[in-house]
Amino acid sequence: MTPSAAVHSPVFQFYAAVALGILAVAGTALSILRFGLKKNVEHAWKSFCGWLVMVPVLLGVIFLGRVPTIVFFTAIGIFGFKEFARATGLYSDWYMTGAVYLAMIATGCMMLPTDPKQDVPGWYGMFMAWPVFAIAGILLIPILRNRVQGQLQLIALSIVGFIYFGWMFGHLTFLANAKYAYAYLLYVLFAVELNDVAAFTFGKLFGRHPLRSNISPKKTWEGALGALAVSMALPWLLHFTFPHFVPRDLILAGLIVGIGGQLGDLAISVIKRDLGIKDMGAAIPGHGGILDRIDSLIYVAPLFFHMVRYFHDLY
Amino acid sequence: MNDWHYEPAEDLEQSLVERLRRFPRQPDMLVYGTRVAAAALIRGWLKLYHRLEIVGREHIPAEGSFVLVANHASHLDVLCLLSALPFAKLHRAFPAAAQDYFFVSVPRTFLAAVVVNALPFNRQTNPRQSINLCRELLGNTGNILVIFPEGTRSVTGELGEFKPGLGLFLAGTSYPVVPCYLEGAHRAWPKGARFPRPRPVRLTIGPSRTYAELTAGKAAAIEISRDLEARVRSLRDAATPRP
Repeated sequence: MTPSAAVHSPVFQFYAAVALGILAVAGTALSILRFGLKKNVEHAWKSFCGWLVMVPVLLGVIFLGRVPTIVFFTAIGIFGFKEFARATGLYSDWYMTGAVYLAMIATGCMMLPTDPKQDVPGWYGMFMAWPVFAIAGILLIPILRNRVQGQLQLIALSIVGFIYFGWMFGHLTFLANAKYAYAYLLYVLFAVELNDVAAFTFGKLFGRHPLRSNISPKKTWEGALGALAVSMALPWLLHFTFPHFVPRDLILAGLIVGIGGQLGDLAISVIKRDLGIKDMGAAIPGHGGILDRIDSLIYVAPLFFHMVRYFHDLY
Repeated sequence: MNDWHYEPAEDLEQSLVERLRRFPRQPDMLVYGTRVAAAALIRGWLKLYHRLEIVGREHIPAEGSFVLVANHASHLDVLCLLSALPFAKLHRAFPAAAQDYFFVSVPRTFLAAVVVNALPFNRQTNPRQSINLCRELLGNTGNILVIFPEGTRSVTGELGEFKPGLGLFLAGTSYPVVPCYLEGAHRAWPKGARFPRPRPVRLTIGPSRTYAELTAGKAAAIEISRDLEARVRSLRDAATPRP
């Protein structure tokens, strides 16, 4: 991944064109509704304005290359964890929060060098083993501070925070080291967002039966199945971006996004409901917090990563 | 088994700017880190560019809450006063800053809240509420309040009349009040100038006193403001002998 590779990559060009095209079409449609027909589309408009910033930033970072992409996604993970820490109250303990920050920065650093065992970018072995050291480090903190009271909660929240937002989300970042980095990264990002939009649209149109009534009352089986259908179809349309994928891989890629996307959303909703909050933060106007935006990615990225690695290796 | 007790941050669903505008602000590592870095840069810059000289540092109380009071003729004033405090006290020092000037636009809010750690003082519509805020702040041991009792920057650089507001929460309390006099800040960066000029600045810190013997009220407030004004004036006269 370098700027010149991006310029010559048909995959990057394709996704950039599709994303900017969708933005243009959606922007035109919303503008007509909002300014022409004076319809109340405030919510959709705000969400669109959020995308208007996020899409160019994302494309820009990926265009710039491997290192900027790794730095960017690592930072996103850290700010996502910060929202989680603030929402749970873990943030008031700066030692624990700081330890997780350090562990997450270290995760990012592991993706930058060349693998010491083979001549490929990213130290995969260390990345996989890192939770062992991170958890050992987190457990060390109450011991060093000689504290007992309330420590289990802090330890548990820190470990969940690191594993989920640091390490599992880190798999998305690590895809920047893959041979087909553009195809994998952009597929996961695009497919997950499309899956979200499809679930929302199918739910709005045909939603009858609640999917998980206690967790997310607005989600429906109709929405979930509609999104699954769309996500199952998408890899076949994008087959040219990963020509080495056989039908088995295309089906798995669709299933991972179609099912994992919903589950990632629900997983964060479980946390939010238990905490009694609506959004994880207010970092992205019209979208809530960073976690509200990347919730599905956290779940999907590691599953997709290991599917690809098992069948094709990353490089 | 007992339920876990979660404490979501109070400002969870506010945007960054809203979080910086509220007071008291929730602690934030990034904000604290930026403030420390900014303070280090500012101290270096004041030292090199303005040859800042601090006299009477020993008068600053080592612990407990206290109030720093100074004349006000420049944006440099607050930076000089903060530079006289140890780094460890940086996040506990709250300069009262005009809400209508510092907490409206985004860049100024950022500078006031992050770099200076300012307390938004509502001098126009609800000064009473802001005065109560100052009182609460001092009640939390170890907090430092920085106040310019003139209420605004002097256009001429001359010492103006001290407003009695701070007397309202100082009378009958045992918080030490430290008078300070800033010399040269007006020449270095007067009101209306875009950039500071490389003129020397000198900060003189006088001995502190408390106003525990007074009973709170309007008369005491006026007495306190007059007394502090006289103290700052005498620091000025001592620093710059006049004919």
